[in-house]
Amino acid sequence: MKRTTALAAVAAVAALGLTACSSGDGGSSSAASTQLNIYAWADEIPKTVISAFEKETGIKVTVDTFDANETMISKLAAGGSGYDIVEPSQYAVQQLVGQELIEKLDHSKITGLDNLGAKFADPSYDKGNEYSVPWIWGTTGLAYNQQCTGKAIDSWDALWDPAYKGKIYMLDNMLSAYIPALQYKGLKATTTSEKDIEKGTQALLDQKPLLAGYNSSNYTDLLASGDACVAEAYGGSGIAKATAANPDVKFVIPKEGGTLWVDGFAIAKDAPHADAAYKWLNFTLKPEIAAMATNDGGSASANEAAKATITDKSLLENVAVYPSDEQLAKSEFIVDPGKALTFFQQGWTKVKAS
Amino acid sequence: MDRVTSWIARIVLVFLYIPIIAVIVYSFNSASGGYQWKGFTLQWYGELFSDTALLQTLLISVIVGVLAASVATVIGLLAAIGMVRYPFKGSAAVLGAIALPLIVPEIVLGVALLSVFSFLHIPLGILTLVLGHLIITLPLTTLILIGAFRTLDPSLIEASADLGCTPWGTFTRVLFPLLRSSILASWLLAFTVSLGNIVISTFVSGVGSTTMPLRVYSLLKSGLTPELNALGTLLIVLTFVVVLSVGIQQMRRILASPSGAAAAPPDTTTTTSISTTR
Repeated sequence: MKRTTALAAVAAVAALGLTACSSGDGGSSSAASTQLNIYAWADEIPKTVISAFEKETGIKVTVDTFDANETMISKLAAGGSGYDIVEPSQYAVQQLVGQELIEKLDHSKITGLDNLGAKFADPSYDKGNEYSVPWIWGTTGLAYNQQCTGKAIDSWDALWDPAYKGKIYMLDNMLSAYIPALQYKGLKATTTSEKDIEKGTQALLDQKPLLAGYNSSNYTDLLASGDACVAEAYGGSGIAKATAANPDVKFVIPKEGGTLWVDGFAIAKDAPHADAAYKWLNFTLKPEIAAMATNDGGSASANEAAKATITDKSLLENVAVYPSDEQLAKSEFIVDPGKALTFFQQGWTKVKAS
Repeated sequence: MDRVTSWIARIVLVFLYIPIIAVIVYSFNSASGGYQWKGFTLQWYGELFSDTALLQTLLISVIVGVLAASVATVIGLLAAIGMVRYPFKGSAAVLGAIALPLIVPEIVLGVALLSVFSFLHIPLGILTLVLGHLIITLPLTTLILIGAFRTLDPSLIEASADLGCTPWGTFTRVLFPLLRSSILASWLLAFTVSLGNIVISTFVSGVGSTTMPLRVYSLLKSGLTPELNALGTLLIVLTFVVVLSVGIQQMRRILASPSGAAAAPPDTTTTTSISTTR
């Protein structure tokens, strides 16, 4: 019987040893990096960009994807993540800087920052592009099915219109849901005042009986089928596809302003392949590479010079992808609310529980 | 009354299977979004097979699933033999400790694992994924195998020892054949749990080891495509093939052995429980 137990122990150790073998690609750093590890949103870096970079530099790129900025931040915060380039949204850049999880960029090693559009050259969330290089951007606006509404609409008011009761959808994301609520009340979406946020909460509570639901995943399908009349929506490739497929589906930047989001590249603290990370930043700042984000990925590039090499010029006039500067006159970046985050969280809990 | 229950059963079955059928049907729908039928196409399967990023994550999921399920089954089997055959003082406490992850919220486990791995400087990757999945699959395999082991007649083991079998011979020639279907069932269950896990994977995946569910979940931002229906369909078909082949094999065994009728009930219940949890 002793022998059985001994065998058992050996078997267990051998089995554990087997699992250790397959984790060989941890990646240790060396002088000239031949490897680059990127942590990004899914589908925001087209395959063509990756393969072009690998071909030009000979660096092997590994891309992992995350579902939320918070997931990415928690990974970096734990330390030793192994990532070189991360792709935070604008407010996440501020949080990463606050937690000292990304490196200050050495601008002497970067060329092509002047290719960026005016909005992105010196953004409110990252003055002077000290920490991040914007890659793609989009808006938060209003989508509707014209057959259902019977008229063109251009205001957040529609989301509170009893005429569409049961056919109104809001994005299932706290800060996104507060955008229409605050702007509907005539307040700024970037407010940090407790009183303002309370008013926003009240607007969301008033709206709740009219809602069909909070939805961030398939609202474009619901709009196309007419199950949704009006919906708060993210601008970008998803809604652009929906508006192209069904002429009744429209996307507008509401007259109250809407908001802007931008996802950019930053270098993680203690990146194991920092030299390769700088090569990546320089590479993706090239206009012809940045244009691939639109040509192959369907998103709006933050690179102004890239517009010349965009093949489908109609996208440059499509409000769902490239809204004009006039349409964006009142749009702001949603920034990190800082301490006011608790007011949002308390209000959001109340809204969700009602 | 019987008629009512039979109708309720039928409705429940329909309710369970409608989503699965919908996934299969929509994977052949040529509309790129929405729920209207726009004609038959194989386009999404083509896109799926050319989507190397998604296929790579599927490969990672399968590797992790196979490793985690195998290790969990081996350890679970050893634990079952140890606890049932040679009960020791505190074996109940050990069992409790193994089963604990069943009641601890996964998110807590995930956060804890992330801190432990970063404290020990273990790079996040396939190893950490396997260890993480081991924590949640081990209770399942251990409990299944303990249950299976308890139903065995202990005199069988004694008889084999009486007839001159070494303990190892007893294991390979008596225990293993008798437990084979339970071992298979616990392996499949562990594999399924590992393959579908999101919460723990979120915390313990690292460079180059994004799993398939994580990839699918992160696609929510840019919108789900019918390509995912194609992936779902293939996974469903694969599952049916596995369950069916296991079922056929067991039916053969039952029909072949004259005394099989007695052994049949536990075998069939374990396989059907697999197919319903899937």
